[in-house]
Amino acid sequence: MDNQTISPRQFMFLVILFTIGSSIIIVPGPLAAQAKQDAWLSITISLLIGLTLILFYNHMAKLMEGKTFVQATIMVFGNWFGRFILFFYLSFLFILAALVLRNIGDFMTTEIIPETPLQFTHILFLIVVIWGAYLGLEVMGRSAEMFMPWVFLLLLFFTITLAPQINVENLQPFLGEGFMPVLSTSTFVIGTPLLEMVTFLMIFPYVKDAKTKRKAWVLGVFIGGMILTLITLLCLLVLGSDLTALNTFPSYKLAQKINIAGFLEGLEIVIGIIWMLTIFFKMVVLYYAVSVGVAQFLTMDDHRPLLLPLGMGMIVLSIIAYPDVAYFETFVGDTWFPYAFTHGFILPAFVWIGLIIKSKRDKKQKDLSSHS
Amino acid sequence: MMLVKKGVFFKIPAIVLCFILLTGCWNSNELDEIGIVVAMGIDKTDDNQYELVAQVINPSEIATDAPTTRPPVSTYSTTGKTLLEAFRKLTHKSPRKMYLSQLRLLVLGKDLAEEGIISSLDLFYREHEFRTGFYVTIAKDTDVDTLLSTLTAYEKIPANKLMNSIEAVETGHGSSKGITIDELISQIHSKGQSPVIAGVFMEGPEEGGTNISNVENIDAPVKLTIDHLGVLKDDRLVGWLDEDASMGYNYILGNIKSSVITHPCQDGTASIEILRTQSSMDAAFAGGEPSISIELDLEGNIGELNCPIDLSKEDSIQNLNKETEKEIKRLMEASIKSAQNDYETDIFGFGSLIHRKNPKYWKTVENDWDTEFKDLHVDIQVKADLRRKGDSTQPIIKEG
Repeated sequence: MDNQTISPRQFMFLVILFTIGSSIIIVPGPLAAQAKQDAWLSITISLLIGLTLILFYNHMAKLMEGKTFVQATIMVFGNWFGRFILFFYLSFLFILAALVLRNIGDFMTTEIIPETPLQFTHILFLIVVIWGAYLGLEVMGRSAEMFMPWVFLLLLFFTITLAPQINVENLQPFLGEGFMPVLSTSTFVIGTPLLEMVTFLMIFPYVKDAKTKRKAWVLGVFIGGMILTLITLLCLLVLGSDLTALNTFPSYKLAQKINIAGFLEGLEIVIGIIWMLTIFFKMVVLYYAVSVGVAQFLTMDDHRPLLLPLGMGMIVLSIIAYPDVAYFETFVGDTWFPYAFTHGFILPAFVWIGLIIKSKRDKKQKDLSSHS
Repeated sequence: MMLVKKGVFFKIPAIVLCFILLTGCWNSNELDEIGIVVAMGIDKTDDNQYELVAQVINPSEIATDAPTTRPPVSTYSTTGKTLLEAFRKLTHKSPRKMYLSQLRLLVLGKDLAEEGIISSLDLFYREHEFRTGFYVTIAKDTDVDTLLSTLTAYEKIPANKLMNSIEAVETGHGSSKGITIDELISQIHSKGQSPVIAGVFMEGPEEGGTNISNVENIDAPVKLTIDHLGVLKDDRLVGWLDEDASMGYNYILGNIKSSVITHPCQDGTASIEILRTQSSMDAAFAGGEPSISIELDLEGNIGELNCPIDLSKEDSIQNLNKETEKEIKRLMEASIKSAQNDYETDIFGFGSLIHRKNPKYWKTVENDWDTEFKDLHVDIQVKADLRRKGDSTQPIIKEG
C-alpha cells in the first residue's frame, strides 16, 4: 500500500520481534511441563524445522513476483475461489492478532494491574497499534530499528543479572525422559511462533533488495528462536523445570528472582518491558497485514479506513475469544498447532502449487509466443 | 490561518485528554492507604481452620526522629477456612488493606508443619503481590502469634531482625539455613530431595515480649532466636536436626561460608576458623547399587588455641588439619545418620544426584526412595588446609 518500503535489516528486526513477541510468555511453561529439563532442546529442534519452513515461504515469495499473498492468490485462483481461500487466511491473521492482544491483557491483569478491567488494557494497547499501522510500514520498520537495541540490552541485562543464580544441575539428566517428549513438544513451538510467520507473506513484497531480504528472513527467525531458547534455558537453569511448569508466567517469575547484593531487586518490569515491546511489534505487523490484506481483498486503494472498524472487532474478539485461561492453555496446547498448520502450511502450499503451475504455464505461453 | 486553526483544534483536545488520562492509575495504591506486611504467620486451629497472623509496619514509628511509646509494628490475627479468606478478614481489624510485596518472613506453626504444609503454600506462590525472596521458617516450641508479637531490640522491625539473624547464622556459623518459598516448593515436589526449614523460637518468659518495655532493657528478657533445621518428609515436619547435624548438613551441601570448628587438642581445645569450603558430590554405581561420595575442601585459620603445642612446627599444623578433618567428618556423618536412621528422609538431594547421573536406575527406585536411602552408602572425604595462625605465632598458654 502507498508504496512504502522497508530495508532488509528493518525487516529482519521485525521478524525477530515477531518471533519473540507473546511466545516469550507462552512457550517456556507448557514446554517444561512435558519435556522437563530438555525443553530448550525441543525449541532448538523446532527451530530447525522452522527454518526449512521459512525457505519454503521464501520460495513462495519468489514465485509471487512482488505481489502480496492476497494479490497472488486472487491472481492464481481467480476472483471467487481465490477470495474463498483468502477468507481463511485473513481470519487466521485476525484471530491470531486478537489472541496476542489477549495475551498481553491477561498478563497485565494477572501481574501488574489486577483491578483494571481487561478491555481498557486492550483498548489502550490497540490504540498505539492502530496508530502504528496508520503511519505505515516505513514507520514500523524504523521504530523496530530504534527499539531493537533496547530489547537486546534488556535481554543482556536480564541474562547477566541472573547469571549468579544459574544452577547447571537443573538441566540434568540430559534426555532423562527419553527423546519422545522432546520431539512431541517441538510441535508447540512450530505452531507458535514459526507457522505464524506466514503473516510476513503480506509484508515481504514491500521489502527492498530481493537478494538479501531472503537471508534476512531466515536470519531473523534464527535470532528470534535463539532468544526464545535463551529465555527457556534461563527459566530451567534458575527455576528448574518443575517451577517453570508451575508458573503462569515463568520468565516474569524469573525476573523477580534478580537480586544483586540485596539492593537491586524488584526488576521484574524489565521483562515486562521486553514483552510490551515485542508484543507491540507482533501486533502491529499482524494488524498491518490484516488491514492491508482486507483492503486488497476488497480492492480498496487504502487500508487506513479499515483500521478503526477492524480494531473494534478485534477488541470484542479478544475479550470473547476464550472464557478463561485454562481454556486458552488447552487451546494453545491441543488446537493451535493443527489450526496454525492448516493456515500456515497447507493453505500456502495449496497456493504454492497453484503458483508453480501458473508460472510453468506462463513460461510455456511465453515460449509459444516467442516461437511464433 | 485555516491550517493553524485546524491544528489547534486537534491538539488542544488531545492535550486535555492526556491530562485527564495520565493523572491517575486505576490500580493506584497510595502509601498512606496500605499496610506494609513484613511477616506472616500461619497455623491450624483446633477446628481445622487456618490462623493467620500478619505483622504490619507502623510507618510513623519507623520513619520518625522522635520516637513515641507506640511499638514499631502491630500484629493482627484472624482465622478462616483458607488463607486468603483469613487474609481478607484482616480488614475487620486493620484500618488499611495489606500490601504484601515487602514480606520478609513466613512463619509456619508447629501443628501445621506436622500436618503438612504444601496446601498452605499455594497462596504464597499464586498471589501476584508476593515476591519470592522471603524466608520460610517454623516456629519451634512457641505459637506463631506470640512469636510474631515479640518486640526486638536493636532491629526495630522483628521480621527484619529474624531475616537478618538467619542470614547471619548462615554466613557466620552455618548451623541453620534460610529457605525461600520457591526452593521449598520445588524440593517438596522433588522425589529426590526433602527440604529442611530453619526453626525460630522465643527465648525467655512467655509474657512480656509484646510490651515495649521488653526492648527498653539492655538485655531484653524476651528474645527471638534462630534454631537449627527442621526436617521434612514429603511436606510434614518429622523432627529437628541438632546443632552438629545441622552444621554437617550445611557442610555436605557446601552451604558453609564461614564457620568455626572446635576440637580437643592435648589438654585444652582448639578452635579453627573456617574461611571457605568447597564441596562436591558424586554418585557411583558398583554392581547396580548406588553409593555417594562427598568431597569437601576447606581453608581455614587458627582461631583460638588453649593448648600448649608448638605452632612453629609444620607438624602441629598438620595435626590440627587432621583433627579438623576428623571433626567435620563427624558432623557430616552425624547429619547423614540422623537423616537415615531417625527421619528416613533424603534431605541432601542424593536421590536427585542419582537421578541426574543415572536416570534409568532412578526410575526403578524413585517411588520408594526413602527406604532405599536408609541403606545408602555414603563415603566422605574431607581435606582441610589451615593456612595462617593469626596475630600470634605461638599459643599464649605456652611458656617461651
